[in-house]
This record gives sequence, C-alpha cells and structure tokens, in this order.
Amino acid sequence: MADKKKRRRPDSDSDSASQPFKNLLKPDEQILQILESFTSSLSSSSTSKPLTLADLALSTTCREVSDLSLSSVQSVIESLVLQLTHQILSGQGFSFTVPSRSSSNQLYVPELDRIVLKDKSTVRPFSHISSVRKTTITAKILSLVHQLCLKNIHVTKRDLFYTDVKLFQDQIQSDAVLDDVSCMLGCTRSSLNVIAAEKGVVVGRLIFSDNGDMIDCTKMGMGGKAIPPNIDRVGDMQSDALFILLVEKDAAYIRLAEDRFYNRFPCIIVTAKGQPDVATRLFLRKMKMELKLPVLALVDSDPYGLKILSVYGCGSKNMSYDSANLTTPDIKWLGIRPSDLDKYKIPEQCRLPMTEQDIKTGKDLLEEDFVKKNPGWVEELNLMVKTKQKAEIQALSSFGFQYLSEVYLPLKLQQQDWL
Amino acid sequence: MESESPVETKKSKSKTPKKAKESILKQKSPAEFFAENKNIAGFDNPGKCLYTTVREFVENALDSAESISELPMIEITIEEIVKSKFNSMIGLVDRERIDEALYDDYETAKAREKRLAKEAKAQEIQAKNAALGKKVKEHAVSKGAKSRGEASFYRVTCKDNGRGMPHDDIPNMFGRVLSGTKYGLKQTRGKFGLGAKMALIWSKMSTGLPIDISSSMRGQNYISFCRLDIDIHRNVPHIHLHEKRDNKDKWHGAEIQVVIEGNWTTYRSKILHYMRQMAVITPYSQFLFKFVSDTPDKNVTIKFARRTDVMPPVPVETKHHPSSVDILLIKRLIAETSKQNLLQFLQHEFVNIGKPLADRLIGEMGPEFSPKMAVKSLTDQQIVRIHQLFRQAKFDDPSGDCLSPAGEYNLRLGIIKELHPDMVATYSGSAQVFEGHPFIVEAGVSVGGKDVKQGLNIFRFANRIPLLFEQGGDVVTRTALKRISWNNYKINQTQDKIGVFVSIVSTKIPFKGTGKEYIGDDISEIATAVKSAIQQCCIQLKSKIVKKMQAREQQERKRNLSKYIPDATNAVYDVLKEMAKSNSSKKKRYEEGDADILRKVSDHLITKETLTEKLTQHVEKVDYEMALEYATQTGVREEPREDIYLQSLDGKGNFSDFHSPIFVFRLFL
Repeated sequence: MADKKKRRRPDSDSDSASQPFKNLLKPDEQILQILESFTSSLSSSSTSKPLTLADLALSTTCREVSDLSLSSVQSVIESLVLQLTHQILSGQGFSFTVPSRSSSNQLYVPELDRIVLKDKSTVRPFSHISSVRKTTITAKILSLVHQLCLKNIHVTKRDLFYTDVKLFQDQIQSDAVLDDVSCMLGCTRSSLNVIAAEKGVVVGRLIFSDNGDMIDCTKMGMGGKAIPPNIDRVGDMQSDALFILLVEKDAAYIRLAEDRFYNRFPCIIVTAKGQPDVATRLFLRKMKMELKLPVLALVDSDPYGLKILSVYGCGSKNMSYDSANLTTPDIKWLGIRPSDLDKYKIPEQCRLPMTEQDIKTGKDLLEEDFVKKNPGWVEELNLMVKTKQKAEIQALSSFGFQYLSEVYLPLKLQQQDWL
Repeated sequence: MESESPVETKKSKSKTPKKAKESILKQKSPAEFFAENKNIAGFDNPGKCLYTTVREFVENALDSAESISELPMIEITIEEIVKSKFNSMIGLVDRERIDEALYDDYETAKAREKRLAKEAKAQEIQAKNAALGKKVKEHAVSKGAKSRGEASFYRVTCKDNGRGMPHDDIPNMFGRVLSGTKYGLKQTRGKFGLGAKMALIWSKMSTGLPIDISSSMRGQNYISFCRLDIDIHRNVPHIHLHEKRDNKDKWHGAEIQVVIEGNWTTYRSKILHYMRQMAVITPYSQFLFKFVSDTPDKNVTIKFARRTDVMPPVPVETKHHPSSVDILLIKRLIAETSKQNLLQFLQHEFVNIGKPLADRLIGEMGPEFSPKMAVKSLTDQQIVRIHQLFRQAKFDDPSGDCLSPAGEYNLRLGIIKELHPDMVATYSGSAQVFEGHPFIVEAGVSVGGKDVKQGLNIFRFANRIPLLFEQGGDVVTRTALKRISWNNYKINQTQDKIGVFVSIVSTKIPFKGTGKEYIGDDISEIATAVKSAIQQCCIQLKSKIVKKMQAREQQERKRNLSKYIPDATNAVYDVLKEMAKSNSSKKKRYEEGDADILRKVSDHLITKETLTEKLTQHVEKVDYEMALEYATQTGVREEPREDIYLQSLDGKGNFSDFHSPIFVFRLFL
C-alpha cells in the first residue's frame, strides 16, 4: 500500500501573504519525525490492559452488555417468551423489566473515562395504558429478532421498521425499543443482527478485510471506503499510518481526501458525517485497539463539535449500556478550538455568534464530568462561552480552500497542538 | 382629560396655518376643533361613526343607571333610512337625473360593453357547472359599489333607565363640547368625556338634523323633551324645542335619538361584537339591540338577558397621588383648594400623605418653605420644587379602593352567559400601581363554547368597556400570543377554542395611539400583571382539563388496551410456534415445564386464540379494578354549582295556576 507518491504543491512566496503562518512550517520530514516519536511513545506506554467494571467492583451496580452468539441470543429470547407465556396463561397479563436508559440512570466513571448504565430498571406491564404500546412493540421486536436468529441474516433498522409500520408508527419508536431489547437481553446491538445503514467513511493508510475481501483504503478513490455496518466481518487491519484523523464534517473530509493528505503525512482519515453511528464508533475503536495509533479529532468550534467528540470518547447516554465496546479512549482535540480563532486570526466574518441555545448547551457541557476531567477542555469551553463565538471547520477556507490541508493541519501537527 | 381645554385648540390652530395673504388671528371653538379632528374621538368614517355613536350612547346609559344603583336596562335601535325617505324627512324633493353623464357612476358605452361581456361569461360558466352537476355557487348579485354621494342614513335611538337629566341642564349637556360631569380623578368609562356631543356634531355635519332628547328623573312627574343642535362656531346649544311633557309611566332615564350618516354593512359585525362583549363584562344589565330596515331579512334583534343582579360598586372619586401629578395640576389644585397653609394642602389634597410625612416633605423642600406658609402664595419656582420632590420621594402606593373592577363573579357569569364554554376560570389580581395610578387586572380563560373560533379569541376591556380595534399591539394580545405557553396547561393553542378575557380598570388607563383603542405593551407593570392573571386562570383550568383527560382515559382504557392484544399475542405466538417446531424435531432441548407448553402448542392445545382469550380476560379484570379504584378515589364528583338566575316578572299579566300537592305551576298567558 505504501504508495509514497507525493503530490508536490507549487511553492510560491506569494502564497504566504494570503495564507498566514505558512512561513512557520518546517519541512515535512521534521514534522514526520515529531509525529513518529509521539506515536512510538504512545504505543509503548499503552500496553496495559484496559480497566473493566469488574476491576472497579462496579459490576453489580452497573450494567453492561456483551457480544453474544446468535444461538445464545436465540435462547435468551426463547426463555423470555416462555416466561411471558406462563404469565399470560396464568391470567396475569405480562410485563417486561427493561433497564432504564434515562439520563438519571447514567454514570460517568472517571477511571474508565466513559459513561456506563446504572442498574435501575422499569417494569413495562401490558395492562397499563401508558406502557401498553411500548410493551407490544417490545414483544414484536423480540419476535422479529428471533426470526433473524433462526435464519441467520442481517437486516437494517429500516427493514425492521417496515415489517409493521402500522404498529411502530415511526422509526424512532422501533429504534428506541431495539436499544431497549438489546439492553434487556444483555447483548450488543450488533449481536441482534440488526444494523444501521452505512454512514461513516474511511480513507488513507489502512488495509483491512471486509467479509473476506481485502480493502486498501488508499485505492478507494476520492470518497474512500464506506465503513461496514457489521464490525464482525472486519478483520486483518494493517497500517503504516502515524495517527488517525477523526473529522466531524463531510466537507473537511472531502478536502483532505482529495488533497491526499494521508500521503503527505501517513494517516487514516475517518468521518461519520455528523453524529457518529454505531458502526463508525466500533470501527474507530477497533483501529485504535489493533493499530495502537493516536486519534486526533478535527471538529467545529462549537458545543456540538465537542459533544460529538465526547460521543466518540465517552459514549452517548442512549447507548451507554454498550459503552465498553463503543468508546475509543484517549482522543485528542486537535481543532478547531476556540483559542484557534484568535491564534489563526480567523476573520470576523467567518465567525458566528452563538445562539441562546448554543450558550446553554455550552454551559451544560461544562457541568459534564467528561469535560471536567480535562482541564484544557474546560479552559477552551469557558473561552467559547465567554466570547460567544463559534466557527466551523470551513471558516479556514477564508484563507483559501486548501489552507486546512496545507497550512493549518501541518502546523498543528508540528506544534503537537492538541489537548 | 382636564387638559383638553382651549389651550390645546389654539395650539392645533397655530400648527395648521392657512396660506392666507395675511395671517389673521382666529379663535376656534372646541366644537370646531373636534368637528375638524373627529377621528381622535373615533369618528373616522361613516361606518366607524355609527359604531362610535352606538358605543357612546350605550356607555352613557350604563354610567347613568349605575350611578343610581339601578340595574341597567338599555334599548338600542338602529333604523336604516333610505335616501328618498331621508329627503322627505328634510323636505327635499327627489330629483330625476337629467344629465346622466354628469354623475360619477355614469357608465360609458365602452364600460357597459365590458360589463356585459363579463356577465355573459359568468353566466356561461354557471350554466356549464350546473350541467356538470357541480354545486352551483350562489353567484353574488353584482351590486355596484356604493358610489360617492350614495350615503346611507341611520336613526340611532338609545333608551335607558338611568338617572335622567335635570330639565334645565339638558341643552348645555349636549350642546356644549367639553362641559361635563365626568371630569375628576376616578375610574370612568368615557374616553374623552365627549359622549353624545360628538354624535351630535357628526349628525350636524352629515345630515344637518337635530338631536331629540327625552329625559325624566326619579320621582319627576314630567318628561323633559328637548330638540336641539349645536352652533359649532360658538360652541353653544341651539334649541329648537324645550318643553315638559306628561310622565304617565313614572319612567326615569333618558332617550336620545339622532340621525346620522353611517355604514351598517361594513360595521355590522363590529357593532354586534361590541354589544356581545359589553354583555360579557356587564352581566347585570339587559340590552335589547334592534336593527330595522326596509328589507326585513336584514333586520336584527338581539336580546342580551340579565344574568345577575349583583352590580359592581360605583367608582368613587379619589385624590391625586403625589407621584402622578404634573406642575399644571399642582397649580390647579392650589387654585381650587379650600385649605389655607401648605401643610394642610399636602395633607388633604393628596392620597398617602399623612401629617408626619407632610412635615418631613416640607422640611426637605428647603429653608424658604414652612408648614404654615399660605399655599396660595407659592411662587412658580417653589411649585416646581414641590413637583421635583414629588417625583423623587417615596410614597406608599395608592390603594385600589377607588376602583370598581367588574368582579370575578360578574366576569365569570358574563363569559358563561354569552359563550357557554365547556370550562371557564377567572382570576382577580390585587391592585397595583403605574405612575401613581392604581390599576386592577382581572382575567378569565374559557375553553370551548358556541360561536367561538378555534385558537385564541381575545376580549379586551378597559375600565369595563370593550376594546375592539388595534388588537395587534395590545398588551393583552401580545401576552396571550407570545408569553403564555398554553401547552404547559394542556391547552392546544391552535386546536382548542380558547377565550381570553382581560379587564383592566384604573383611574387612568395608559392608552396608546390617538383612538384610545389599545394599551401598549411597553409598560412592564401591566404586562406582568396581565401575564400572571392569565396564568392563574390557566392553572385552574389545567387541573380541570387533567381531570377530564383522566375521565376520558378511564372510559377508553379498555378499548386502548384491547387494541394491542392481537399484535402482542401474534408476536409471542410466532416465537412459540418456531420453538415448538424445533422442540418436536428435537433440535433443541427444553426444560420439562417449558417443553410441556411447547408440546401443547404443537398439538394446538395452546393456540393464538388461547393467548388472546387469557389476555382479554386479564385486561377486563384490570379495567374493572382500576375503574373501581378511580371511583373510590374521586368519590361522587360534584361540579361547582352556579346559582340559577330567574328574571323577575312584571306583576301584571294573566296567568293561571296549576296546583299539585308539592308545587304550583304558573302559566303566563
């Protein structure tokens, strides 16, 4: 894969006037050296086994799911259904006991650096007006998953929804119950054989096998390779990259892919185009675990950028029951950080005033434990709330469309400017 | 209101200098001023003039009846007078048109061609539609727009049972603008104190006909009759006839009749809305509204019946609050006061200044002031000093005792009477203060009802009169639309029929705009009071709505639960069936109890129907238990009862009684 062909850019001095700080850039070789030493120091230090709930003696008070084989999923469902049948036949109606996924039932564990689910459960009886709908949907989803187990096939969440549109009404409801079901059965959502549509893409110095086919991500054209929805068919990861670049937005991803940024600085570029889906999060974790590369994140300088970063890092509240499999530890916030706005002299017209809602979200984030644990982040977020300004990655385009790939990122890497 | 003195008139004159060769200093009488600026009193166009005339008459009648604590009984009649009738009234002979082309509505040959073509086309389309069996839309008979000069005239008559007027005062009360009984600091209905005078000026401007007044006071054995008009230039009454007549019926009150130009077609709904809203805010009065015209199908007769005989007290006149006076007012008070020295003056001519406070105030004014100094000797500078101190010093808020709000009870009855809502809640706030004037906000919120459109219906009242125009900028409208989150109270802002009633009373309503038709949204004291009053109503409603929803849930629980039985049993049975298959084919082993069930499934001993039946039984059992629980919790619910109000009948009249051992049934013939 090591296709070392570099696209040389015409170096003219007139550029530096319109592209500030370009003169600070050292030759690529020096930057690469800096990166190499960083990567090797990281991979040597992070050999220790990651902590689990059991290590912290939290396994009784917290709930976590694990990957289950199809047959065990099937038997869990079957024993549950038999239980229901007993209940119905004895004339008691039936009910499910579903772990609560509400935000009051979430716990951030600093030692693990991720959100986990506490052990509170709610009972969902059929014979109550407020829960009859959800109970029926839960039963329906269970029976559908049971079918998937028997036939050993994968379907998408959309497929699932369309099996009974009349009952589910909209996909949000069937999706939510699907999460409830995997939580209730104690297995990951992937073990249910239900997948989401492909959303994330990857490009760069990575080779992996997808269902037996070898994929070279440097030879996937400009768009890159779509991240496979079921992680269990992904394997054999190899890479000579020095880091993984996580990009929030599609636009920035396209810029970097077209400029073949990964050839100038060997890296793997990933994006989920906004809020990350399960597949992208699983894929990122797998890369991080197997390749032992540092993960650098390039997100918007607004509260949502940080929120997306936190979802990759600590997990979402909605899926906290599976945070062990979904989170990628130790993601570095490369940019664009609120302090960069002034540091890189981003012109006023490219900055946006934060709305009331933005400021509120920002202040709420300051209260979150996963932000507090990183003093650098707190400082940046405080700055954002104080200046009441936000900026998208695209704000850098004001210095030319390629400023991101040609000046901003190399300079950031050279200065090791990440938090 | 006091400042509408000749001072203002002069000013307006100087503002509009005529382009005369030489400027001659002219005096303008108040009547002239209002004749020229009739829009500020609500006489903008013929339609509005008709509306304002009606409302001025009605409000005067209410004031008059309330002032003697008599339950108001008011009859308003609007009679349409066609042009020929009008001409004969004034003794003008109808002339045929000779030179057709002279007139504005003359149709040229070209225009006629165009019109005929259009009409033919319309007819064709209609015929086509009829042939196709489509619902034929009533084709509006193209009545030509009323052309210039084709005015309509109306005779407006208003009869009340109020105080009446002293025989000798009648000419001045109607024929002199800016003379009246309503000047003074108290809560009044009238907007300018112009009352019927503007109607008289308008009748003089549009028809030239005089006004007829009949009046009698309590215990008076004659009726004063007066026919007069107004000499606008001299602002004096011009009496045609002034005599005493017999009062056989012992009637007291006033009846006023005026003929004016108007426009019923465009202002019909406004006038009817006004009457309806007036009926809401004064449920203790009875209105009989009639519209009479030559075409009987246009006639309207509406009776707004009395619903209670509890009347709000008559508002009392109060003294000024020191923080609300201006220099001119202080000067006037000094001129009018009977008190000799400054201390007494402060103590007696203002509210909330007691003797100790008056002493402290005088001490603060400076060395040249003393408690014993003669109040009439104060210099202009000293008065300014007093005014400044009044502005800065802290005084207790004026009490709301001088105000006469409609009352929660009356507001509630009025809403029920006129709207027949499903639910209503009312709230009366305590008195608050804006710029030294006390105000009280009362609110009512209703849900449902007849003749109420979906969404918000806003009814605004200021000093117990309805406000109908310029709704958009009003504090009530804006508060209800923007600052109340109806969802929080389980009210759907777009679907439910919501009635919002807000009545504000004050010694001075801070109107905005020239027409005095709305209260601005920029006074935070009033905005806050309005918001909290509406919210209080909503909180009351919410519990009622929640109860109602629970009751509905009770009724529909069984149906809602049963609805899901097929889906649930299908889901469970599908899994069971698959398991039974693999059990019988020995693919998988199950425990004994479970295997037993699966065998029964294979043998069709347990079927989908078994599960459905069991689940249905369970639902029925649960429903029964919960209904029982609900019934024991809520008990026998009693809606708060409203007193019924029976109209008292006249003593006379033929009737026959039907006697039974427990009651008498009296039938009036």
